[in-house]
Amino acid sequence: MQIKVEDLSYVYSPKTPFEKVALDGVSFTVNEGDTIGIIGSTGSGKSTLCQHFNALIRISHGKIYVGDKDLTARKLDLLALRKEIGMLFQFPEYQLFDDTVAKDVEFGPKNFGYGKEEAARLAEEALVMVGMNYAEVKNKSPFELSGGEKRRAAIAGVIASKPSVLVLDEPTAGLDPIGKREILELVNDLKKSFLKTVIMISHNMDEIAANCNRVIVLHNGKLLYDTTPEQLFSDPEAIAATDLGYPHSVHIKRLLAERGIELDTPALDADSLLAALKRRYSL
Amino acid sequence: MNDIYSPERGAGAHEIIKVENVSYDYVSGEQVSRGVRGVSLTVRKGEFVVLLGHNGSGKSTLAKLLNGFIVPAEGKVTVEGIDTRDDKRIYELRAKVGMVFQNADNQMVASVIENDIAFGPENLGVPRDEIEKRISWALDAVNMSEHRRRSPNKLSGGQKQRIAIAAILAMYPDVLILDESTAMLDPKGRGEIMETISRLNKEKGLTVILITHYMDEAIAADRIFVMNEGRIIKEGKPREVFSDTEKIAEAKLELPVASRISAELRRAGLDIPFALTDEELAEGLCRLK
Repeated sequence: MQIKVEDLSYVYSPKTPFEKVALDGVSFTVNEGDTIGIIGSTGSGKSTLCQHFNALIRISHGKIYVGDKDLTARKLDLLALRKEIGMLFQFPEYQLFDDTVAKDVEFGPKNFGYGKEEAARLAEEALVMVGMNYAEVKNKSPFELSGGEKRRAAIAGVIASKPSVLVLDEPTAGLDPIGKREILELVNDLKKSFLKTVIMISHNMDEIAANCNRVIVLHNGKLLYDTTPEQLFSDPEAIAATDLGYPHSVHIKRLLAERGIELDTPALDADSLLAALKRRYSL
Repeated sequence: MNDIYSPERGAGAHEIIKVENVSYDYVSGEQVSRGVRGVSLTVRKGEFVVLLGHNGSGKSTLAKLLNGFIVPAEGKVTVEGIDTRDDKRIYELRAKVGMVFQNADNQMVASVIENDIAFGPENLGVPRDEIEKRISWALDAVNMSEHRRRSPNKLSGGQKQRIAIAAILAMYPDVLILDESTAMLDPKGRGEIMETISRLNKEKGLTVILITHYMDEAIAADRIFVMNEGRIIKEGKPREVFSDTEKIAEAKLELPVASRISAELRRAGLDIPFALTDEELAEGLCRLK
């Protein structure tokens, strides 16, 4: 299932002194199977764009098609759309609310019309999938969990109804290194299961380079680049224009090139940089 | 503007914080969860200290012990000679040790920036004309003077955190503690905060204790304490700490990318120095040729 964005614009508080153009004529296509990174500095329109995908923000100008569904249609089936496109907000652990972890995760499936038993079964599946011990956590209060566990419980709530598209807004912000790695591994695991497409906002270029097959760069609400991480991070002009910086591994490759040491890799993650260095020095 | 901080720094500077064999557990009903166990450390005036550790390692507990948010169950914490258990001096202590947290939005109290900055000194009973001076000084210290009469909710995340820091500075603290204060910011915002605190530390001699998950931020420290399971398992300069790759792994931390790669290449037999930064790694490899 494709997601097509056509000439999308959005203005906050139009015709007031606080008017702010958040999106300005953005067009691109997300193909099934993509892990697509949406990047850009704060205020570039990333979150506004992503909130359009499951109609949390209704389209005021332009078009979005999710498969053959037109999101500007008057009789849009919101429930079906939101079941298809799961959305994980920034710091989702702040949205845990129920008295037990199990009930919190069941909330989504119940909203999508699953019966009590089916919702409970889906919640169990989801909690296991995010690597939690169901028997141990199901009756716990979400507030007794650690930071990383809370975030995983929140993700379980979103994936319980098995969306085919997952939109993640800064999924690793504020986690420790292990927590970050676990979340990214989880997303990659889900992609081997029911999840088809991932749309991920991140400020962490190391994560974008290592996990995404495509990147969309937003700047002041405009789409500046629609390309691959390899292309983007080998274009100094693009990086300078966006305040984003290079992933560490690419930065090291570039510093080496300046010193006359060329490597046979785009160096999109530390492992491929290390492997290339080992080849070069015959280790 | 006069500088209120003395430039006293380095090995000769006096010990501003003393933590002696401190333990603290969180007790709720029958459940006891570990905070910190048997922690001892000293911080000298003007030092830039980083606390590293995974979630739940005890970093934030230690930070809260330093300004008397919580008091030790065992052992003793003193700041400039004030025992944190001394109820009579708690306000004096809180004014000496300022804390900035993760979410700037939760730390704003007023709808105009200068009133937000005035809140702390007002509570300390500072006279009005003196408060005026402090507002100007604090906003200047974080490079936000031109925003003085604006509303904080129109600012970027990095700017809001700089206001939160200014609000603490206006109380003229001796120690500034930042508990993951850059976690919600983009790289630009993080850069702004790191530049601000590093300048306050170097130029004004402010003692800084930074809690972070970003190894890049830790590299700038005078000293790093690595915590695991409530204990300090490693202490030293960034190079000493990160080159102890076993301790870093034990603490479930990750090395900076350049450090990891230089360590792996050394292990594979390449004769290059251990690198902390991308530049050091590139230089090391360049010298090989």
